[in-house]
Amino acid sequence: MAQPLISIEHVSKIYRRDSLQIPVLEDINLDIGKGEFVALMGPSGSGKTTLLNLIAGIDTTTRGRISVDGQNIATLGDNALARWRADHIGFIFQLYNLIPVLTAFENVELPLLLTRLSRHERREHVKMALNIVGLADRMEHYPRQLSGGQEQRVAIARAIVGDPAILVADEPTGDLDAKSAEEILDLLNRLNAEFSKTIVMVTHDPRAASRAHRMLHLDKGVLSSQTAASGMERAREGR
Amino acid sequence: MKYFRYVWKNVFRKKSRAFLTMASIVLVLVLIVVLSSLLEAMEYDPSGGRGSTHIVVQHATGLANFMPLAYRQRIEQVPDVVAVAPQIWFGGTYIDDRPENFFGQLSTDPEVWAIIHDDYTIPDDQLKAWQAARDTFIAGQQLIDKYHWKIGDRIQVKGTYISMTLDLALAGIYRGPDESNIFFHNKYLENSFIGRMSQTGIFFLRTNQPAQVPVACDAINRMFENSEAPVKAMPEQQFMLQFAEMMGNIKLLVRSIGLVVLFTVVLIVANSVAMSARERVTQIAVIRALGFRRGQVLALVLSEAIVLAVLGGLAGVALSIPFTHALVEGMKHSPVAPFAFNVRISATTLLTAFGASVAIGVLAGFVPAIRSARIRIVDGLRQVA
Repeated sequence: MAQPLISIEHVSKIYRRDSLQIPVLEDINLDIGKGEFVALMGPSGSGKTTLLNLIAGIDTTTRGRISVDGQNIATLGDNALARWRADHIGFIFQLYNLIPVLTAFENVELPLLLTRLSRHERREHVKMALNIVGLADRMEHYPRQLSGGQEQRVAIARAIVGDPAILVADEPTGDLDAKSAEEILDLLNRLNAEFSKTIVMVTHDPRAASRAHRMLHLDKGVLSSQTAASGMERAREGR
Repeated sequence: MKYFRYVWKNVFRKKSRAFLTMASIVLVLVLIVVLSSLLEAMEYDPSGGRGSTHIVVQHATGLANFMPLAYRQRIEQVPDVVAVAPQIWFGGTYIDDRPENFFGQLSTDPEVWAIIHDDYTIPDDQLKAWQAARDTFIAGQQLIDKYHWKIGDRIQVKGTYISMTLDLALAGIYRGPDESNIFFHNKYLENSFIGRMSQTGIFFLRTNQPAQVPVACDAINRMFENSEAPVKAMPEQQFMLQFAEMMGNIKLLVRSIGLVVLFTVVLIVANSVAMSARERVTQIAVIRALGFRRGQVLALVLSEAIVLAVLGGLAGVALSIPFTHALVEGMKHSPVAPFAFNVRISATTLLTAFGASVAIGVLAGFVPAIRSARIRIVDGLRQVA
C-alpha cells in the first residue's frame, strides 16, 4: 500500500438515544493510502456511512483515533474542524444535495466563498471544475433544469473545486440509472487516476465497488473483510 | 458581500411567502408612521418650540359650564397679562351637518384678537374692516381654500346648542398655526342666552413671556378659587390636549396598539424565517459539511431575516408618505380636523420606522438563526431533502 493518508486506530462509535446505547462501529482499524480508491460495502445498518462521516470530520468518534495526513482530527475544535473539512474533504452525496435556488456555477462556487480567492479567481476555478465534469456549458442552469446524472456531476465539481485531497462519496450512484451511474464512476476513476484524489466511497452496488482498488466489508459495525477489487471482478466473471 | 447573492436568493426561495411577509411589515410600518405622526400632531406646539405665551381659562368643572364675563377685568389685572378675550365656542353647522363641513366657530373680541394671537397674521385693512362691523368674520386660509370664500361673501351657520343662526360677511383672511377656524364678534351673541347672562365659555389671553405662563395660571386660579365659578387656567397646548384626552388616554392607546402590532409582526416574520430554515435543514447541513462555521450559518440566516425586513421597511416607509397624506386629507373633513392640520411626517418618524424594520429582522431572525447554527451535520444530512 502507498503511504497511509488516513489512519484509523481502534475506532468505536456508540449512538445514544435516550437511555439506550447503540454501538455502530466497534474497534475499527484501517489505513487508506494516498491516492487510493476504497469502497465501503455492507448491509444497511452495518456502519458504512458512520465510518465515512467520521473520516470526513462531520461526526466524532466515541473511542479511538482518526488521523488524516498526520493530523488527529479529534483534537480539532468545531471551527477548526470546519476549516479542515473545507481544505481537505470533498463531499459527494447520494441525492446530490445541490442548493436549488443557486445555478450550477453558484453551487460549485459555494466552497470557494470560504477562501480568500478574488471573484475572478473563483470564476476561473469554477469553470475549470465544471470543465472537468463536462458541464461547462450548463453553468447557468439551475438543478431543476439538469438530469440526475448532470446534477451529480455538478456535485462532483463542487467537491473538487477546492482541490481537496480526499473525496468522500455516499452512494454516489444510488439514485441514478445504469448509464448515468457508469458515467459518474468513470469520472471518479478519472479523478483518482489523473488528479490523485483519494476516494472513499460507500456503496451497495458491487459493480460500483469493483471500480475501487480495495473493497472493505462492514458487518454489524465490524470490519469483516478486505478484498482487492480486481479479485472481486474475477469472482463475478467466474459465476 | 460575496455571500449576498446566496442570502438574496434564499430570501426569495418561496416568492409568495417572502412577499406576504414583506407585506405584513409594510402594513405595520405604514401604521407606525401614521400613528407617530398623529401623536406628534397631538403634541404639536403652536409656538414652534419657542414656548407659547397663551393661556386658556375655563370653568374648573369643565367646558360645559360658563364663567361670568366680569372676570375679564380681574384677569387683566394679573401681572404680565397683555390682553384678554372672552371666547365662546359656537359649534354650529355650515351647509349641512356632515363632518366634512365642520369647522371651529369662535366668538371673540376683535379689538384684542391680533394682540393676543401674535402668532397669526392678517392684513391691517382686513382687521380694521372686521373690527368695524359686528356682522363680519375672519377665516383661516385653509377654510378659504376649501370653500373658495371671497371678501364680502356671506355665510350662514346654524347654531346647535345656541339657538340662533349666524349670518356673517367675510372681512378678512388670517394665516397662522391653525387655519381651520372662523372668528366673529362676541357682540353678535348678545341676544343669545349666553349673551343675556353676561357669561363666556373661555378666556383666551397672552402673557409677555412663556416663562410667565405658569405664574399667571397660578395667580388666576387662586384669584377665583373661592368664588361661585372657580376657574382652571392652563397653557394653550394643555388645553388642546384635553380634547384628545376626553376620548381616553389616546397617546397610551396609540402607543400600546403600535407595540402590540410590532410584536405581532415580529412573530409573523419569525415564523416565516423559521419555516424557511426548517425546510432547509439538509441544505444547512450541506454547507456546514462544506466548511461553513456555525457563526457563518447564524449570520447567513439572520441576514436573510434582516434583508426581508429591510426590504419591507423601505417599501413601508415609501408607502407611508402618500398614505399619511391621504389620511390627513380625509381627516380634514372630519370632527378631528384641527389635528389633521398639524400632522407632519418628520424625518425622525421615518428613521424610527426604518429602524423598527431592522429591529424586526434582528428579533425575528435570531432564534431561527441560532437553531440553524446548532444543527448537527449528520442529523441534517439524514433528513430527506
